[in-house]
Amino acid sequence: MTDDTRSKLLPRNVAALRRFQDPAAAPREVTGNPVMTRLESGIGNCFPGLECDLRNLERRFFPFLEIEINFSVAQGIMQVAAVDLPGVEAAAGNGGLPAADAANYRTIAQDLRNGAGWVVSNIAGDFGPFKQQSFNPDDLTGTSFGNQRLPPEPWAAVRTLVEGAPVTLTLVRRPAPGTITLTANRARYLDDTGALARMFQPGELTQSLCSPWTHDFRDCACFYWASNHPDIALPPLPAPPPAAGDPRWELATAWERADRSVATPPVATQTGSQSVPEIAHHAINRDWQLLNFVLERRERISDYAPTRFNAVPLPNQAALLAQLRYAAGVEIAAMQEYLTAAWSLRPAAAQPEPLLGDLTAAFDEMLRIAIGEMRHVRAVNDVLASLSPPGGFTPALAVAAQVPGATIGSIRPVELRAATKAAIDDFIGLEAPSQSVDGLYGRILETLMQSPETTEQQERVQTVRTVMAEGQDHWETFLAIKEWLGRHAEADYLRAPNLQGPPQNNAAHQELQRRYVGLLERLYSGYQQGIPKGAADIAAARGSMLGQGGLQGALDAVAAGPFLVIFDPIADPRFAAIQPPP
Amino acid sequence: MPIATTRDAPAISHRFHSAAGEHLLVVPFSRIFDIPGHDAVALDADPDALRALATSLGQIAPGEAALDQIVEPEPQSISLNISSSCNLGCTYCYADKGSFGGVQSAPMTWPIAQAATDRLLAVAQRDRPITIGFLGGEPFANRALIHQTVNYASAEGHRRGLDVRFSVTTNGTLLRPADLDLMRGHPFAVTVSLDGAADVNDTQRPMRNGRPGGWALATARVSGLLVDPGQAKLAARATVTRHDMDVSARLRALVDLGFPEAGVAPLRGAPDEAGALREADWTVYLHELIRASRAELARLRRGLPVRLTNFAVALKQIHRGACSPYPCGAGGGYFSVSAGGRWYACHRAIGDPAFEMGSSDGLDTVRRRRFLEDRHVHAQTDCRTCWARYLCSGGCHQEAASRTAESCDFVRGWLEFCLAAYCELGGGQSGGDKR
Repeated sequence: MTDDTRSKLLPRNVAALRRFQDPAAAPREVTGNPVMTRLESGIGNCFPGLECDLRNLERRFFPFLEIEINFSVAQGIMQVAAVDLPGVEAAAGNGGLPAADAANYRTIAQDLRNGAGWVVSNIAGDFGPFKQQSFNPDDLTGTSFGNQRLPPEPWAAVRTLVEGAPVTLTLVRRPAPGTITLTANRARYLDDTGALARMFQPGELTQSLCSPWTHDFRDCACFYWASNHPDIALPPLPAPPPAAGDPRWELATAWERADRSVATPPVATQTGSQSVPEIAHHAINRDWQLLNFVLERRERISDYAPTRFNAVPLPNQAALLAQLRYAAGVEIAAMQEYLTAAWSLRPAAAQPEPLLGDLTAAFDEMLRIAIGEMRHVRAVNDVLASLSPPGGFTPALAVAAQVPGATIGSIRPVELRAATKAAIDDFIGLEAPSQSVDGLYGRILETLMQSPETTEQQERVQTVRTVMAEGQDHWETFLAIKEWLGRHAEADYLRAPNLQGPPQNNAAHQELQRRYVGLLERLYSGYQQGIPKGAADIAAARGSMLGQGGLQGALDAVAAGPFLVIFDPIADPRFAAIQPPP
Repeated sequence: MPIATTRDAPAISHRFHSAAGEHLLVVPFSRIFDIPGHDAVALDADPDALRALATSLGQIAPGEAALDQIVEPEPQSISLNISSSCNLGCTYCYADKGSFGGVQSAPMTWPIAQAATDRLLAVAQRDRPITIGFLGGEPFANRALIHQTVNYASAEGHRRGLDVRFSVTTNGTLLRPADLDLMRGHPFAVTVSLDGAADVNDTQRPMRNGRPGGWALATARVSGLLVDPGQAKLAARATVTRHDMDVSARLRALVDLGFPEAGVAPLRGAPDEAGALREADWTVYLHELIRASRAELARLRRGLPVRLTNFAVALKQIHRGACSPYPCGAGGGYFSVSAGGRWYACHRAIGDPAFEMGSSDGLDTVRRRRFLEDRHVHAQTDCRTCWARYLCSGGCHQEAASRTAESCDFVRGWLEFCLAAYCELGGGQSGGDKR
């Protein structure tokens, strides 16, 4: 068969011609393994995982050697498992390997045959992100911090070795005596066509797939797992339990921490450079059952009794509707406060670390919460629309004049202000009782739950539950924002000390008001029409927030003043201020 | 546990040659490619390369249906077994002269025919032709019902904007002028069962009353339609028994009568069944069928139409790449309604519980699904590895029991001939249908 198959096959019947209708599907010669055997066709995102174990590549990082990494050996974690003697002889024969090196390989092979071992006592080379390093793999600690830091463990070390760069292994004989030093370039795992290099045996890449899938717990962080397998959680309470509210037990720690003791509070996870040591990859395969169940953010090691939700229902439908309209207003007011606060922060890009990171996170998270409030406005309006008789729904887009305060039952005026530490505390106060019976939605939920069970009623209940749960998330996030900004002086992270709103005739300010009212009008029209009729208006409203031509650009322009972003009261009764219901 | 080898694997390609050169049939989707001679030699020596190439060429293309799926479309055509009797006594009749071994003792009534018609018109796809066929027994033994059903279905079809067509298989002996007018006036596929010249026909298809002259009677009564077919399309159909396998002579006799085309079918059955082809007969029959087809091929080269239905259909199907896991529409888009109103997957299986699928009130979806699963060509152990499996699809369900190595060799031999003939006719890359 010649290589030029494609040009020589002539389709003869209609069915053969049809095969070439789609040029992308036209047959062509492909070198290497079928596409379904390739890593990019896999559904796994962790190795060892569902399809292959990349460590089987790394066992052959050094030419002619197969090296095992065995953590159960205290000294000599990296052990030579085999020598590719035919390869050695071939390379020696064609001048590709110095005679001295070939002799060393033969010595190792001979010893392995006779029951002696060789282990790596030092490895030197270019470790990519860890730069040029030289160390004994047995000395790696499982953690990696600071300048001139070493890789955390041997697998990570081997994985970072730069392909083609020289690596020097110092090997010692077990039992002593005997020392051999070999230098060679880090082996290539793939050939020029992207197929696995010839040194790998068929099946080698998948040979260790008996690794438990719990290995994934260790590799997939960043909230990949469901809430009962979190990255961090509150520590389990010892018996007898500590005093209620003991702050030492109220700080989240790493769920996979290596230290499993429960008598003393674990080291709290911090968001700085130092983190809590976690169970090593190889250890979690063995010890995954030590991981605790997590319920309501805390690891549980004893019987769990759920708390019962119990609030006083609102007296009638009118009161329910009034409370919902006020709730929508609170969401809008909160959104305004958060946007004002977010745009009072200095642009992060020009700042030094760690301020850069803290500002980036604080701004992004405040914006995320503000967007969350916008979604709540929509959710509350959906509930209101479903409770209203046909044609009887009026969108709730009036802004609350007062919002719940830091203490239960208290109330405070809406205040657009910079993200001072006092303001962040107020935000925490506003979001804190979301989950409680006294929160904004507690009585709404109780009232909805008491109405007859229908599909619509269930949808309303779930909508309100979602809003409440997200309020909890907002509260937790503001606690984190407080931690990030709390380590800097206000003067360092705010655009200016004592930021004030712009004068009324400020062009940027007026443009912001114009765009904001335009947005509200579109939203009003969209909500009024409902879905699907109002979808175009709602989509247009969303679109009008983004980009420099949208609300975002107007906020940037005001903040560049530098001024505080202010949303002026609107005379239109649809968007004017409303008071809490009596 | 036995380990599957490539020998057990389904054939994915078939190499063949013709006077035009070397060719490759890619079994999935029946794609045909020309291969240069030296590549063909190399491919034949390297089964792995051939398999890899064919696998690539056999990938599904836009608009093609996956070959392993079981499709359960709404019925698009039905046949009505309207008569339970026949005036002929053909020795090989599968329907036992219409009574199906006593299962169908009375002719179909109008309410039964109407209900089946209504059901079909209600559920069939509107953008494709809908066909109602008439079978029996001799359908024209119940002529009034044919007329009533055709007139009703045509009017209903017109009212609903449907393309309703008809078909009938008749022995021709009972036809009257009014019947001919009915067939001329509607889109009617008319198949006349005649086994060839008078002597062969009257031996194989004797009159039940013992009188001679069945052939003379049929040809006299059909002749008016042959001269002036109107909308009707006529074809003759001959059964070939082991006693006389001269296909060319059959064809000649039938086209001499004025039939534009005629098809033949070998008589299959138990080895002891009179006239059924036996093992050694298949080679002879293949030879005869090919001999007749070569003459048609010569006609085709002169620009004349092919008259042997078997060959014409094979060329058309090879050209478009016919590829189906089922040999016919039985239980798929086609059902046959018994005189009593029960729906069967096939007209040859009236009264067979294994083929009973429901009534005009609805189909038994579970039974139908199982029927289709059981008869998918992938489910046939004899067929699933054969290169011809998507062209032959295992053959008639009713005849599956009589399938032998020899009869399958005949099918492959016939397809091999047709594939080569198709390639010799040219066409190729232009994709133009020159046939």
